[in-house]
Amino acid sequence: MNKHLSKIALVSMFALFLANCGVNNVVIEGRFPTPNISKMPVYVAVLYDQTLRDFSYLEYTETGSEEFNIQSGASHVELFNSITPAMFEQVIFVDTLEEAQIAGVDAIFAPAIEEFQLALPAKTKLDVYEVWIKYNMRLLTAQGDSIADWVLTSYGKTPTETFQTVEGAINDAAVVALRDLASSFSLSFSDVPEVRDWLDQQ
Amino acid sequence: MYLKSEIGWTSNKAENQLRESKMNPNLIFKEGRFKILLLMALSFVVSCTSTTVDEFRQGETGISGDETVVVLGRRQASDYETRSEFIECVGDKMARGDNALNIIPEQEFIDAMFPWFEPRTAPLRTQDLAKLMSEDVVADKMGEFGIRYIVWVDGFTETSGRTGSISCTVGPGGAGCFGFGTWEDDSNFDARIWDVGSFTNVGTINTDASGQSYLPALVIPIPLIARVEANACSRLADQLKGFVNGS
Repeated sequence: MNKHLSKIALVSMFALFLANCGVNNVVIEGRFPTPNISKMPVYVAVLYDQTLRDFSYLEYTETGSEEFNIQSGASHVELFNSITPAMFEQVIFVDTLEEAQIAGVDAIFAPAIEEFQLALPAKTKLDVYEVWIKYNMRLLTAQGDSIADWVLTSYGKTPTETFQTVEGAINDAAVVALRDLASSFSLSFSDVPEVRDWLDQQ
Repeated sequence: MYLKSEIGWTSNKAENQLRESKMNPNLIFKEGRFKILLLMALSFVVSCTSTTVDEFRQGETGISGDETVVVLGRRQASDYETRSEFIECVGDKMARGDNALNIIPEQEFIDAMFPWFEPRTAPLRTQDLAKLMSEDVVADKMGEFGIRYIVWVDGFTETSGRTGSISCTVGPGGAGCFGFGTWEDDSNFDARIWDVGSFTNVGTINTDASGQSYLPALVIPIPLIARVEANACSRLADQLKGFVNGS
């Protein structure tokens, strides 16, 4: 009996050891308030492709092994779900271009993540965790033709704190970056020249 | 223009007693476990911090009962960030005691004003605030909160001069640590007070606090922590309270 228990304990310890050696998963979770801005009088369909929904970023150690797997697809969807209804008079969330055409929208908004970067204090020797994200924002007509296509970057950082986990700090920095995206996207949307021209025609 | 400077130095008898007992290690063992625990508890209370507060007034101030103040941290710098815990501490202290003010919590204000007070979009000058207030949604929200003053706090606490070493051992007969460590904390915070009614900067208060912390370890580590940031928070909050009330 004792031998059996010892074996279970040893296997559990080994499994725990292996688990600690593997990649650390960080699922970004945060609160995104609704923007206080004037709505634009347009009917927009929001289309998230599967790449954005499943977006994750792998951070490697200096020796090349996987260190952190940062999953931020769901939080990006949550963020755009929160900001787009505050920006446009009418919003519909669709899965295909056809759905948008049937709904008779003025335009389709399709965001995409192009690049994700993480800076850890252990590597930068700074007392902050940093997240930098590059987006490709696309605005299409209901038929799928391009109205505007522009790049937006967002940045978030959080200071190192005693008793704070690395995963928690990465999450905090990513949430700041997502809020930064929301603020710059919602305030600069109508300043994009092609978007401004299109809005003038509406 | 008005310039005021204050220097505060706080220490107490407990610290001296603690230092005496530290000189003679055997004393700790003789007086028993209770006294060791008491010393450890006292060590957290002990402070040895010097704080300087400078106030620069540029305009008249005053506040009525239905008006509120919001304290916000500046987060534009690339290499540091004003900690939200410090901002919360200043706000909490301003909302308590004599002449307490109605303080709007920082996160509640930033979320309600989203996206206008994020690090990238927050107004850096009073002219930017005037421009921001021309947005109806912003002016309405400010009116709902009854904001009369916005206090922008910018700064951080830096730790330097870490010296000494402590080693701990665990054995069959027990565990213990031996050694000595020391470091210095220096907090520097600037608070700029904006009058939302006139879109002017009515004053600036600078708080500089520094203190040396010690960590002797004779079997048990006894932290003698200088509460530098806590003192900076307390003094800054008191000064801000007086400033906003016009005293």
